[in-house]
Amino acid sequence: MKANKTNNPLRLGLWVFLLLALLTAVEFAFALWFGSWLLLLLAALAKAGLVLVYYMHIAKLFKVDESIDRESYGYKLATNRLGLWLFMVSDSFIFGGLMLSRLNLMGLTRPELDQALGLGVTSLLLVSSFFMNRAETSLAGGDRRAFLASAFITILLGIGFIIGVLGVEWQLAPFGPGDGPQGTVFYSMTGFHAFHVFTGIVFLVIIFRNGLRGRYSVEKHWAVEACAVYWHFVDVVWIFFYPALYLIGTVVP
Amino acid sequence: MKEFFSLGLVRGLVYQFFGALAGIGIISGIRALMGLETAGSFGFSEPAWVFGALLGAITFLFGSGVLDDWLKWAAGEETADHHDGSHLGWRRYFGPSLDHKVIGIQYLVTALFVMAVGGSLALVFRTELAASGLQFLTTTFQVFQQNGMQLYNTLMSLHGMLMIVSILLGIAALMNYAVPLLIGARDMAFPRLNAFSFWIAVPAAIILLSSLFLGGFDTGWTGYPPLSARAPLGMQMFFLGVSLAGFSSILGGLNILATVIRLRVPGMAPFRMPIFVWASVATSIISLTATQLIGLSFQMVMLQRLFGLGFFDPAKGGNPVLFQHLFWFYSHPAVYVFVLPGLGIISELLPVFVRKPLFGYRWVAMSSLGIALVGFLVWGHHMFTSGMAEYLRVPFMYSTLLVAVPTGVKFFSWVGTVWRGKISFPTPMLYVLAGIIVFLMGGLTGPPNATVATDLHLHDTYYIVGHFHDTMFGGYIFPFFAAIYFWFPKVTGRRMNETLGKIQFWLLTPSFLALTFSMMQVGLLGMRRRVADYDPALGFDLSHLVMTISGFLVAASALLFIINLIHSARKGEPAPGNIWDSRSPEWQVASPMPVENYEIPFEVVGEPYDYGMPGSKFVEFKRGRHESK
Repeated sequence: MKANKTNNPLRLGLWVFLLLALLTAVEFAFALWFGSWLLLLLAALAKAGLVLVYYMHIAKLFKVDESIDRESYGYKLATNRLGLWLFMVSDSFIFGGLMLSRLNLMGLTRPELDQALGLGVTSLLLVSSFFMNRAETSLAGGDRRAFLASAFITILLGIGFIIGVLGVEWQLAPFGPGDGPQGTVFYSMTGFHAFHVFTGIVFLVIIFRNGLRGRYSVEKHWAVEACAVYWHFVDVVWIFFYPALYLIGTVVP
Repeated sequence: MKEFFSLGLVRGLVYQFFGALAGIGIISGIRALMGLETAGSFGFSEPAWVFGALLGAITFLFGSGVLDDWLKWAAGEETADHHDGSHLGWRRYFGPSLDHKVIGIQYLVTALFVMAVGGSLALVFRTELAASGLQFLTTTFQVFQQNGMQLYNTLMSLHGMLMIVSILLGIAALMNYAVPLLIGARDMAFPRLNAFSFWIAVPAAIILLSSLFLGGFDTGWTGYPPLSARAPLGMQMFFLGVSLAGFSSILGGLNILATVIRLRVPGMAPFRMPIFVWASVATSIISLTATQLIGLSFQMVMLQRLFGLGFFDPAKGGNPVLFQHLFWFYSHPAVYVFVLPGLGIISELLPVFVRKPLFGYRWVAMSSLGIALVGFLVWGHHMFTSGMAEYLRVPFMYSTLLVAVPTGVKFFSWVGTVWRGKISFPTPMLYVLAGIIVFLMGGLTGPPNATVATDLHLHDTYYIVGHFHDTMFGGYIFPFFAAIYFWFPKVTGRRMNETLGKIQFWLLTPSFLALTFSMMQVGLLGMRRRVADYDPALGFDLSHLVMTISGFLVAASALLFIINLIHSARKGEPAPGNIWDSRSPEWQVASPMPVENYEIPFEVVGEPYDYGMPGSKFVEFKRGRHESK
């Protein structure tokens, strides 16, 4: 029974990760051979759906027990979840606005970017999502060492993503922020997203430090859950931003 | 002296000052190292001022102490769920408090302060407009690096945004104070977030006001590029201040939604919630989501100015009309954020003063949500003359006219409620009735702006100014006064002075109507809005004089209100009980409201507005049931 408990989340997490990786490869192939924005959108929606259901546990939002004591941890936990999701709904309007601005300014053209690098940073974020999920499920299963190790790897991958985008891609891009719509769109979208990744890393460092000092238990680890859900949310944003920046249409002339 | 500096507000302001200095210093230092220009308008470069203002706002939050609990959590420490009652005196209003009632009062006082400042600015430019020709805001007049006409533009623009911020703070005050009491909650769902929402608004308001002294701006409250992309430094302060105030609105909306969903007392099914709670939910849905887009559109212009991004710069492939789409996607629904709580107040108070059930309760409840949702689809009616795609005009016209349907439901309900009621006319009721009439004026003057053919003539005229002042006063100011006169005894245990209240009412209402009717009259005849002068040959001088005099009378009534507020809080007639004979739970306990809200929990056992129905009950306190057994 106990083996089941620790094994299942790992296998589920792995399967989801593999599916996400596969879909990313499929996206890349779509862009290479068909150039269809509709197929790209469908692939991105499928990826986002997988993350929402299996990594962000959207179903937990609806599993609410109204009968328990209002002052109990369980009741407050459900309220906290609702608050976090409302915040993400609100935040997604910023990214939605950026996305609409991108479509308005660039239509079916895309900035001139290094494809290998784009795929690289996307993979980093994807792998980090897997480890974030590992961290959360390990803690829920009572394995503190695995939690700490996974959280640490997630932090490193997150830092790697930021270095990849801000440190490499921003320097290599053949255009500056003021050079036409591609500069406007690329630097604003990656900038807003990188800021969110940065806040996610700060959050991760906080839970890692508190985890080292044993502040979280199997029953009480809302901070870890919140951090994981937020991290996956930022990943979902990138699931839409990656094709919007790297794959849609043709390179701007 | 030491006690003075331990107040959260004072410490926050000191921190903000030094934080802003540090921010300016950091950027100026970096620019100096990079060999860039460090001097600019008002001594420093624009990036230095912007970063300084931002850092100042952040350090304000640290200094005020509103982040303390979160910092402790981040450091792995536990904090008490509710702060103990050790700060029960006046000091609790000057620092972060977790009590929704205290935060409600903090919001209210800030809202009244911002309203007083914004209103005073209006008086200045209203005086200028009293006659044709430039009176005192002339080109030779110089202040804050602006000449008279530039100052006119700044005052006019800042009046708009300050009033909007004041309204947002005012509805936050009402929702914060009333919603937890109406649904029987101990506090908001997230008390710390609630305190944060209020305290971020303080540095935001300061930054917004600083735009007046830092060169001003001349775009009106809408901040359209390309003009805003090259307006003086004050523009950036305006953008930053509004963006920060937006967080207050977003997080406040989030808190209200979570509170209403999770913390209603047993038995309060959705269709037994008071109408004001429904209205708060509808408002919060808009402020939670749409507000992000005004913040985003303003930040985009800021980025364009700071880093040369080309969102709205046609020379760089940008699109100025895109700004208007993003901006109005919030700023139209925002007017429903302003009026929905007020209309909820009208529906909430009307049954109390006519002693009859609210007519069509379910329809009224759903109409708030209906207005909120349709409100997301109408923003294009502000852009009929902007050069947006032609084919969008007619759909936006019809979606806008559709808003009249749920609004009509509300009017129908109010008329049906008043019909054959036992009407009494204490001050709150006067404001409720005047609110209905003024909002009707605002509502009836709306469709001509929504209809493309007439709007092409009316766009950017004084007619629009008259129209939206009617909707804002009818939908917010009058119900806001009604709510304060109504709930004041709940807050202080004393009644507001009825005589002063009635004088204020009879001073405000006729002069306000004269003001807006004159506005609409000159607007129909072709008076442009946002201009400092007009041709005497147009014959508008008399109407403008009427407007200026009315404007001063409105200001006098607001002053009288503040005098009444202060006077009654100190020496008003004691009113410990249910003076309005209301069925609502907060009136069934002693006034002023106990710190813990309801010491004896209650359950909802009936309909909220069954006034005059023998034997009907809305709430039942648990101890009462024990005693009767």
